[in-house]
Amino acid sequence: MKSLAALSFALVVLGQAVFADVMKLAVTTSFHNSGLAEILLPEIKNDLDLDVQLLVVGTGQALKLGRSGDVDAILVHSRKAEEEFVADGSGTFRREIMYNDFVIVGPNADAANVGSASDAKDALQRIANAKARFVSRGDDSGTHKKEQNLWSSAGLKAGELGDWYNAVGAGMGAALNTASGLNAYILSDRASWLNFGNKGDLAVLFSGDPVLFNQYAYLPVNPEKHTHVERDLALKLEKWLTSDRAAKLINGYEIDGQTLFTFNAKPPSQ
Amino acid sequence: MTQLFPLKVTGAESRRRGKLLVGPVDLELGPTGTTIVIGPNGSGKTTLLSLLHGTSRLNAGQVTWACSTEDARRHQSFVFQRPVMLRRSVVDNIAYPLGLRGHDTKTARAQATEWAIRVGLGDMLTRPATVLSGGEQQKLALARALISEPKLVFLDEPCAALDGRAMREIETILTEVKAAGTRIILSTHDLGQARRLADEVLFLKGGLIHEQGLAPTFFDQPQTSEAQAFLKGDIVE
Repeated sequence: MKSLAALSFALVVLGQAVFADVMKLAVTTSFHNSGLAEILLPEIKNDLDLDVQLLVVGTGQALKLGRSGDVDAILVHSRKAEEEFVADGSGTFRREIMYNDFVIVGPNADAANVGSASDAKDALQRIANAKARFVSRGDDSGTHKKEQNLWSSAGLKAGELGDWYNAVGAGMGAALNTASGLNAYILSDRASWLNFGNKGDLAVLFSGDPVLFNQYAYLPVNPEKHTHVERDLALKLEKWLTSDRAAKLINGYEIDGQTLFTFNAKPPSQ
Repeated sequence: MTQLFPLKVTGAESRRRGKLLVGPVDLELGPTGTTIVIGPNGSGKTTLLSLLHGTSRLNAGQVTWACSTEDARRHQSFVFQRPVMLRRSVVDNIAYPLGLRGHDTKTARAQATEWAIRVGLGDMLTRPATVLSGGEQQKLALARALISEPKLVFLDEPCAALDGRAMREIETILTEVKAAGTRIILSTHDLGQARRLADEVLFLKGGLIHEQGLAPTFFDQPQTSEAQAFLKGDIVE
């Protein structure tokens, strides 16, 4: 599985200029796949004269890049891991920026009858009972961690589910493609699903359980651990990400008339 | 053994805020050689490469490979015009993709050292990558892209900011990896580079492929007036 994790590694620079300030931000593949970065980064450049270099990886890798001081901040979606990141001194604080939700996607025929599930736990139990094909990110990403937690809450262990459970070790887009090819069930963040162009026979079968809430948070890397970290630029970006301007852009980002993210940041106290 | 090609693109479009950046594009690419994507600034070269690689959002149409998309992605690398350097040494930057793939540090560093030597960075293994010159950073990015032995490498204007010597070194490496069987898709606005490297040319203008053909045919007998003007060095809008 590890060998496939490199799939999610990409280095992306949008609109870099020679004289602008430059900072590095590790973001999740699900955020990048949503297309929102392509909207926000040029505006950040215009407003702050700040080039944000994105390193697009899974949440696990983003946290590692933060811990090693390779980036100035991270934007990820795995609350427990984020809180550990701050608690162990790797990050200075955790600022919630926006959320969307996870959805359970599967074949229209819905052999496991997930569409009738009472909650997310019930939905996964139905998939397991039917031994219906399920595709997992399997890449230590925030989505993967959420899926493992859901299996656990359903009284099941993801590693012992049988050959109907396919861990692909890939980013969200590639995992959705696999699910489409296998006509399988999958847990996806809503933004990636809406943005996914190869839906095939798949559809959203279950959503709305509060446990599927998907919060994105911004965490600057601690400059006391890595003196080269661009602390001021990280704080400048935080101020922008929590501003009314960012709220308007984030809330206004739609695909096919559907909003992908809801802004819920509180302004920084400093 | 995974086969990526033919790569088929049908009706592909990329938009930003409703504005059409590229497309609709219909295209088929075969398994060997170097495809050069040329065209004036703003013609959509970078967006087209990103669409093919999957790092840019496809708003319409399809990009399909002979294998599954995830298999295809696993066997690709991308070298950006301005590569991002991790705040690590040269050798650790090159080794990074192997670490992601589960190689132990010793093995990854040994292979990274070989690649560093191959691209001419052998005497600066422990130097912080962020202090390298533009040409050195681009050579590092190329080594980092090639260390995982991809079947296909995308390069977006890899020599745009380089001097002649660095450009020659990059082109030499690309010629070698092509000879070893790696498929290359490279964008450039440098006609000289296009002539030196191309087996096949895609000429873009206004987000559309105006002409596609084998290099000798394209350079000697361009079919469209826009391509003829571009090859003459005229300003093509």
